[in-house]
Amino acid sequence: MMVPVRCFTCGNVVGEHWEEFDERSNEGDEDPEAVLDELGVDRYCCRRMLVSHTDLVDVVSPYQ
Amino acid sequence: MSEEYDVEFVEREDREARFLVRGVTPAFANGIRRAMVADVPTMAIDTVRFIENSSVMFDEQIALRLGLVPLTTPPEGEFVEDDTVTLSIDVEGPDTAYSGDLVSNDELVQPADENVPIIDLKDGQRLEAEADAVIERGKNHAKHQGGVGVGYRHLQRVEVVDDLPEFEEQESQIVRGVIEEDGELVSTTEFDHDLSKRYPGKEVRLEDVPNAFVFHVETDGSFTIEELVTRAADTIEARATELEDAVQL
Repeated sequence: MMVPVRCFTCGNVVGEHWEEFDERSNEGDEDPEAVLDELGVDRYCCRRMLVSHTDLVDVVSPYQ
Repeated sequence: MSEEYDVEFVEREDREARFLVRGVTPAFANGIRRAMVADVPTMAIDTVRFIENSSVMFDEQIALRLGLVPLTTPPEGEFVEDDTVTLSIDVEGPDTAYSGDLVSNDELVQPADENVPIIDLKDGQRLEAEADAVIERGKNHAKHQGGVGVGYRHLQRVEVVDDLPEFEEQESQIVRGVIEEDGELVSTTEFDHDLSKRYPGKEVRLEDVPNAFVFHVETDGSFTIEELVTRAADTIEARATELEDAVQL
C-alpha cells in the first residue's frame, strides 16, 4: 500500500524519501545505490524499506 | 562517577553525531545507550478520532502511520506524562496527505518531518481526523523512540610493530570506527576502513583504549543530539535517585 513511515528494524524515518527515490530510480534510470547514498539512507535495513516497496494504492483504489 | 570524564565530538550534524567519551565504564556507556533508545520521553500521536476517512486504508492503519510521524518534543519540564496536544488533519482528494498537513494547537509540538506521505487520496476521497499526541517513553512503543541506530565502539589505538618483510604481500586489515593516532582522532572512513592503506609496508597491531567509547547517535528529529544525550543522562540520574530513596532506611 503506502510506503512505511519508519524502518521496521531501526526506527529511522524513511517515508519522506520515497517520492524522490521512486521518481529517480523506479521511474527514472538512476542507480538506486547512488540515489540512496545521496538521500542519506545509510543502513541496509532502511535501504531495503525503499528498494523493496511497491505502491499499491492505485491498484486497490477501484475496489473501494 | 566521581572521576573525571571527557567528551569530544568527532562528527556533528543536526541529527547525527559521533563523539568520544573518556573515563566511563563499559556498563555506564551501555546504560547511556539504553537510556537514549528506551527512556527519553518523546511526543507522538496516540489516539486518533476520525471524522471522515474514505481513503483506501482503514482507520487503524492511518492511525498507526500518524503515530509514527516524529513530532518535535518541547523542552524538559514543559510537559508531563498524561498531557496531550491536539493535532488535526484535513485533506481532500485528489491529493496526498503529508505529515506537514498536520495542524498542531501547540507551537512547540510540530511534525519534525513535513514530507512523510500519510495516504494517497483519489478523486472524491477525504481524510479528516483529530489526533492526540502524548509524551511517552521508547520502551512503551517504538514511536516514542527518540534515538535511532544508537551504538558505541571502543576507541582503538594503532601500534606499529615492525616493517613487513620486503617481498610479502600486505593483507588488508579492516577496522571500523575511530582510531587514535598520537592523540589525534581519525575516522576510519578517511582510509576506507583499511589499515593497510594507512600504514603501507608496516605490521600494525590494534588495541582498545580502556574506558574510551565512540558513540554514534542519530535522532528521529524530535530533538537535537545534545538534548537526547543530556536527557538520557538525566533519566539515569532520576532513576538512581529513585532507587536511593527507595532503599533508604
